[in-house]
Amino acid sequence: MAMIRLEHVNKYYGQGATRFHVLHDINLQVAAGELMAIIGESGSGKSTLINIIGFLDDDFEGNYFYNDQAIHDYTRADFAKLRNQHVGFVFQNFKLIRDISIAENVILPLLYAGVGRRQAKKTAARVLSRVGLGGYDDKLPTELSGGQQQRVSIARAIIANPDFLIADEPTGALDTKTSQEIMDLFKQLNQTQHTTIIMVTHDPRVAEQCERVVKIIDGRIVDDRKVGGN
Amino acid sequence: MRNAELLRSALQSLRANPKRSFLTTIGITIGIAAVITILALGNGVKKRLSDEFNTTQNGEQYTYLYFTPNDSQSAASGFTETDLNAIEERFGAKVKKAAISHETNNASVSPLVGNERVNNATISLFKRPTSKISIIAGRNLTTNELLTEEPVILMKESLAKKQYQTVQNTVGTSVSIGDHDYRVVGVYRSQANTYNDNKYGADLIGGTKLFYSGTTATTGYGIKLTFYQGANAGKVTKKIKKYMEKKGTSAHDGTYMAVDAGAELTKVNNMITGLTAFISAIAGISLFIAGIGVMNMMYISVSERTQEIGIRLAVGAAPQNVMAQFLLEAIVLTVGGGLLGFVIGWLLAGIISNFMPYHIHAVITLNSFLLAFGVSASVGIIFGILPAKQAANKNLIEILR
Repeated sequence: MAMIRLEHVNKYYGQGATRFHVLHDINLQVAAGELMAIIGESGSGKSTLINIIGFLDDDFEGNYFYNDQAIHDYTRADFAKLRNQHVGFVFQNFKLIRDISIAENVILPLLYAGVGRRQAKKTAARVLSRVGLGGYDDKLPTELSGGQQQRVSIARAIIANPDFLIADEPTGALDTKTSQEIMDLFKQLNQTQHTTIIMVTHDPRVAEQCERVVKIIDGRIVDDRKVGGN
Repeated sequence: MRNAELLRSALQSLRANPKRSFLTTIGITIGIAAVITILALGNGVKKRLSDEFNTTQNGEQYTYLYFTPNDSQSAASGFTETDLNAIEERFGAKVKKAAISHETNNASVSPLVGNERVNNATISLFKRPTSKISIIAGRNLTTNELLTEEPVILMKESLAKKQYQTVQNTVGTSVSIGDHDYRVVGVYRSQANTYNDNKYGADLIGGTKLFYSGTTATTGYGIKLTFYQGANAGKVTKKIKKYMEKKGTSAHDGTYMAVDAGAELTKVNNMITGLTAFISAIAGISLFIAGIGVMNMMYISVSERTQEIGIRLAVGAAPQNVMAQFLLEAIVLTVGGGLLGFVIGWLLAGIISNFMPYHIHAVITLNSFLLAFGVSASVGIIFGILPAKQAANKNLIEILR
């Protein structure tokens, strides 16, 4: 059974005569435990697609069934709850709040889920050491390198045990070596924790390490194939 | 999100910009401080009015009428029973009671100290020895002496030094007031008594019983007039004064003076009431402008922290969480300023009251506190709600793009 099922999803930007058709009739299913890459040129609509998949964008046409729930009918507040409980985000530019500590950043999803600060901080320490940043709790994001900041962002994404991760160009701002470290971390999460990961990338070296690659050109899925992964 | 966490993150973001936060609150602080100051002084005047003067608990008013003989050696009796009867007969509709004033706090006397007449001296009278004075020579009065009407008296340090150079010399000397000769048994340390409002600061301290025995029981230089509720005490007192000047027993031997302490305080009260309205209006404008300052700062904060808002929404903050956070920031800001203003107003009122006549104290009530808290919180809510709404309604996709 597919965890994520998109049926005839269309997405437009703007209105009236200047309306721009970004996604054309997207049909896509993602099963639990997959490590999937979405590739395409910039402007092809791949980010728009994962924003919809990740419950960031509730303004689209078509049907989105999440574990067979028809979430295209949900309200804005429902979407906030979905984001909080079911998905973790990793962004290209990390998106950490700059004037609060690493631990404070990481515990945000737990705080919004209603967990107490003390409990959340314990969990954060554990998750930070899992991503290789044990003991960095009280540092500020600006004191860390790009690769380390991306690890913090991954720690934040996985702290609430989401069903899947959305990663938008997670290695886009990192050098080759650091990119590989982050990819190793994703693969490790996928293999040991069976975390479903959907990432957008235009880096072929990153894409070829995934099990499944979906290619988008001009808002249409043109290719969807299993690759070996490793 | 738990409420404690919301408050925490609000404080956190305000601390990130301490100077801006502080500057934004100054307007609120000034506005609240002004209101609290004037309210505290106004309350002080009202309390003084109801506590000390003019109005008894059941709403009756009273005034005093004093007689001053032309010659300090005069045998004029001042007010007599004849006078009292005449007043009650003539002004009975307004005056409930006219009685010789047996003033016990700072009563005016002209004692003979040794051989020298001291005019404008004051005496406080006690039924029991008081421990609120500190004896520096001789001893205090005893309960037994006061009970058995022993002619003993205490003298204030300053008067003793003036008359006898040292306090030791003073003990054992004599003082005569009216019909009685007293022996000075002790000297006590001087206390402040600027407005004759401190009974322990009088020049002499003696026993009530002996002082008001003999002719002083039925005659005296002062009478207390008690009025029925609603009577214009000040006006009637003036009429009684005029009447006494014509028909009083001692009309030809001295002058009469009406003391309506309430009237003086009422003037101060009216002034403060007017001032309260004026300052409240200014404070209102100040609070309004301060509120706009808060709104402006919150709008700036919302647009500066667009990324933070996006991140919070992305990790699962509901729009109302974001709104609550920004609203709380505005409220913490204004309430913080308001409480600071409350403290400053309190201190300011305390300082100003030192320069006020009639020994008015600043009076801070729970209501003043609630007013400061309520007004500043309201300013925060009123001027914080729009920026907070804007923060909550930001388009997540546009922020994260």
